[in-house]
Amino acid sequence: MTKVLLVEDDPWLAELEAGILTKAGYDVTLSPHAPSAIVAIDSVKPDVIILDVLLTGSTAFALMHELQSYGDTHATPIILCTNMAENLKLEDLASYGVKRIVDKTTMQLDDLPAAIRGVLL
Amino acid sequence: MNTCEGSLGESAGVHHEVSSLTAAAHELKSPLALVRQLALQLESGDVTDEQRRLVQQITLTSERALRLTSDLTRSARLEDALFDVEPINPEQLCRDIVAELAPLFEAHGRSLAVSHRSHPLLLVANRDLLRRIIMNFSDNALYYSQPGTAVHMQIVALKKAGTVRVGIRDYGPALSADMWRKLQKKLKHSPQSIHARPQSSGLGLFIASQFAEAMQGTIGATRHRDGATFYVELQASRQLSLL
Repeated sequence: MTKVLLVEDDPWLAELEAGILTKAGYDVTLSPHAPSAIVAIDSVKPDVIILDVLLTGSTAFALMHELQSYGDTHATPIILCTNMAENLKLEDLASYGVKRIVDKTTMQLDDLPAAIRGVLL
Repeated sequence: MNTCEGSLGESAGVHHEVSSLTAAAHELKSPLALVRQLALQLESGDVTDEQRRLVQQITLTSERALRLTSDLTRSARLEDALFDVEPINPEQLCRDIVAELAPLFEAHGRSLAVSHRSHPLLLVANRDLLRRIIMNFSDNALYYSQPGTAVHMQIVALKKAGTVRVGIRDYGPALSADMWRKLQKKLKHSPQSIHARPQSSGLGLFIASQFAEAMQGTIGATRHRDGATFYVELQASRQLSLL
């Protein structure tokens, strides 16, 4: 089963997204912030990471920078799921391992499963 | 000297006000996006027709609020970012917007249509900013048109001025003469809150005026007996005439 790490600091949104992904057949692990995500990455070894940008404490960029510095995590595909999508360009973030940007303000319920399918092709 | 200091102080005050507004808009995005997601989730479940109608209204209302917050954060970035302008067919853009807003208009018992031109016009604009202006005018028209009426998007060439005007015509209560004078005055003196209609802060029009100004364009309004037309005027593209 495909393992997904969902890093989202809003508990209600995290619960909703995790529910959708579980229903879609993914094994989901939740992390509310960057430090817990690092711990989860070590233990779960996710196939894909869904990452909010503005997290409590360190932002997604600090986390992505750290992941890029490790040999066993730098190739893990990242999907950014954010309210800041209109300010971000995928080509600027490709070097961080970002494969997709999903706009939280316009996304539909099946957008995250579709994004995962897209990056794991 | 005093005048100069006063002017700078006022400018700094306006800038601070806009910054605060932008920060507030950004903070509002997360809860609004969550409300929308929760409504979508609810709608996908087993609900009655009446519950579905209410949940759709929550979704559409949160999307409307998200557009406004997005416009606010975008307006704050106008000074910092360069943006491309290109020849654009406004009729095609209007058709895309009609398709996007159709569910919202339908939920309010209104419709939105584009008047077709046999000879398409091109104007020079940034696609994203022009789209936001037209969405804004359409939103304004939605809430001030009579139920059962259609809001029309009209595109005309103003040959003498070398511009193209995209107008959004609604059919609703006429603006009072007093309200009209205030509107005209405010349209000419941005940045300020523009009182578009009674019970409106005019924030959307203020943002639209900023977007138009950034593209060397203008916005304005025409009063009718049975409603109003809000329009944006931008430089016509000469691309076709050079062919």
